[in-house]
Amino acid sequence: MIEPNLDLLVPAYVREFEPYIPSKPDPELQKLYGCDHLYRLNNNENPLGPPPGAQEVIRRFAPPRGAIYPSGDSYYLRCEIAACHGIDPDQVLVGNGANEVIAFVIKAFCTQGDNIITADKTFAVYEWVAVFSGVEAKVIPLREERFDDQAMLHSIDAETKVIFLCNPNNPTGTYWSRDVLRAFLDDVGGKQIVVVDEAYFEFVEADDYPNGMSLLKEYPNLIVFRTFSKMYGIAGLRIGYLAGDLKVVDMIRRTCVVYSVNGIAQEAALACLRDETGHIRRTRNLVREGKDFLRREMAALSLPVIVGEGNYLIVKLPGSDTLAYRKLMHEGIMIRPMTGFRYPNHIRVTLAPMAVMEAFVAALKKILA
Amino acid sequence: MSKNSERIIALQLQATMSFLPVATQCVETAATIFGLGREESLKISLATEEIFSYLSSNVCQGEIIDINCVNGLSYIRVEFRFPVSAINMGALNIAAPVTCASEDDMTQMGLAIASHSVDRLNIVAERQNRICLTIEKDKNYPQAPEAAISPVDSTGALTVSVPDIEGVKRYVTCVAQGPADPLRPPFFNYPGQVADMVTAGDCQILTAVDAKGECAGGVLFRFLTSRIIEMFGPHGFHDGREGEIAAMLLDACITNTARTKAIGLVSLTGLSVSSQAQFELLGLIKHYATEGKAVEIQAFYRLLHEDPGCMVFTDECLKDYLRQEYARLFLAREIRDVRNQGETKTGASIFSTEVRQVQSLANLRPLWPGADFDANVKRHINFLKGESIANIFFALDLGVSWHASLSPVLLNNHFRPALIIPFAGLADLVIFQYDRTES
Repeated sequence: MIEPNLDLLVPAYVREFEPYIPSKPDPELQKLYGCDHLYRLNNNENPLGPPPGAQEVIRRFAPPRGAIYPSGDSYYLRCEIAACHGIDPDQVLVGNGANEVIAFVIKAFCTQGDNIITADKTFAVYEWVAVFSGVEAKVIPLREERFDDQAMLHSIDAETKVIFLCNPNNPTGTYWSRDVLRAFLDDVGGKQIVVVDEAYFEFVEADDYPNGMSLLKEYPNLIVFRTFSKMYGIAGLRIGYLAGDLKVVDMIRRTCVVYSVNGIAQEAALACLRDETGHIRRTRNLVREGKDFLRREMAALSLPVIVGEGNYLIVKLPGSDTLAYRKLMHEGIMIRPMTGFRYPNHIRVTLAPMAVMEAFVAALKKILA
Repeated sequence: MSKNSERIIALQLQATMSFLPVATQCVETAATIFGLGREESLKISLATEEIFSYLSSNVCQGEIIDINCVNGLSYIRVEFRFPVSAINMGALNIAAPVTCASEDDMTQMGLAIASHSVDRLNIVAERQNRICLTIEKDKNYPQAPEAAISPVDSTGALTVSVPDIEGVKRYVTCVAQGPADPLRPPFFNYPGQVADMVTAGDCQILTAVDAKGECAGGVLFRFLTSRIIEMFGPHGFHDGREGEIAAMLLDACITNTARTKAIGLVSLTGLSVSSQAQFELLGLIKHYATEGKAVEIQAFYRLLHEDPGCMVFTDECLKDYLRQEYARLFLAREIRDVRNQGETKTGASIFSTEVRQVQSLANLRPLWPGADFDANVKRHINFLKGESIANIFFALDLGVSWHASLSPVLLNNHFRPALIIPFAGLADLVIFQYDRTES
């Protein structure tokens, strides 16, 4: 049998890309690290789970429906999202998690030789998708833990197609105010696509935080991402969406694979949007309590923190974050080491109920002792 | 390193003695065109002659051999790919017991000559019973100039930057002119060589510079294996600001490597005290000078990502050591026993040997299994002692099951496990050091 010559068949930018290796499943990790429980503080999941209505959808999903294809373009969900934001359903594209819509956008606008602009210390998937698509990723250093608007504008060149902003930023929790975002969009002047990833939108309580959806009419080059994985607690079902100008979205739709979003995710997402039980309020309360507690506890330990919006915060450790990860795993606590986010010696901690936060602090004290 | 067609000359020919001149002429010409000196070109051509003759006569007569000559800029590599059903190339060992007593010995003598003519040799089994035998020859470079470069005395802000070629050579010269370091790799004595290594993508350098562009420090890092980056430095050239310079260079080095395919960063040649907090101590290596004085060198590492855990193979004799070290390092490992259950072992094992005469150091690693592990280890020890090599290391890959059966052999021959380098092989690499006090 003749083997394929992968050097010839596979583009260099794919061959040289190192695939991200996700964590092993929890039971495997517990076996490896010898712990009888595992508190997941690594992925910014909502410990309250989905809103009650979405939980009911999941419980009642009839097994025979597993044989039926879902709506190929998430029809009912797009209509509901559009109604929520006062836009046309065709301005919305739903994907298998926000990661998939990132890929839709890069495929639609970029070809080899083009570039995208993002920050160095932000959600890594913008950079990854660009790199394994043969597109240069210009990563601009944060300034005072924030996206640097001026440096990003200066780095735009003739090959720049898309600018990715994470607002609020994961992992720093910093955000651009309405004025800063508007000024940036004005300066870009419609020459590039500007993506504002609002994965943590529902967590933000600051008055000057902008709702990207409200700017779509004014800025046709703006695309907004939202997800159901964080506040709405259905990360396991993988569903997120983008919204933008009709013509822009029509272009992106060409690179979008239909039927990629399963039926139960679509229905659960609909239920999330219709929630009237105060799920967002309950989650915000939990986050606020956890944030205040950790801020106090870390100050008592003289550990600097980076705290902003979102259901997470960053702690600066006196030593290696990856060692802290391993030590905490032995204590049954899984956090996110931040070296991969280019924050060596920092960890990101998802905010969770007080009992879990207390367990985290106790474990941290133990490993730092 | 991204390969391009200008840096590779490929030849495909039948393993027949009549084609020998084609192979040797091709390699010699390629070596010359790629910039190897006359003497080195002849040596790699000689090695090619011996290897091609051996393959054509004893291993894969009449089969197709692929020969690639690769310009690594600071070295030339020749790769031989050939099919094989059984292999007995024990003479590729640097310590092979070859005499001229019989015709068979004469054939093996050729391989011994090949092995001695090059700087590095490697052999790996590829898919579908194909073998890749690789030889490398380094280029010659002039030594770093002796005229001292004055230290930087700037009090202003320093920034980290990627130096141009002149900046690379200046940094290397500053390192070479610094205090003597027994474990510093020889390439730090040859600025031109490092410049070529950077151009070829074999290593990267970051320097700390002042407003005038004067070099106040630097760090060199390169892939030691496909998943581990080895770091040299950070070196500071500014009295009084070493800590600050080391911190900024280390931070830059980590953030530069954080989203690469590397899973870990190691420092095997010592690390300044101010940088140690960000690393974990792997273990100690004793370095003996030729006159017998020993210096203890600490080896450090840090993972760049979550530890994904892995399975490691071991003989019973090493199990306690591994358990203890993995517990100390908080590494999640599934330890699997490998036992000799009477299975037949044949042929001659092959070890690669990298000798650094200046440092009186040799690094050994197993390339091919065989039935003669104990005898082969003893031959290598005797050979290296005969060469007055004071520091002998042997690396076993805990991800390769047959390496495990070398552990008892090494322990019986006075090697002691010194440290584990996580993920430096298929799994972790355990480095044994020859204990001179017991011999």
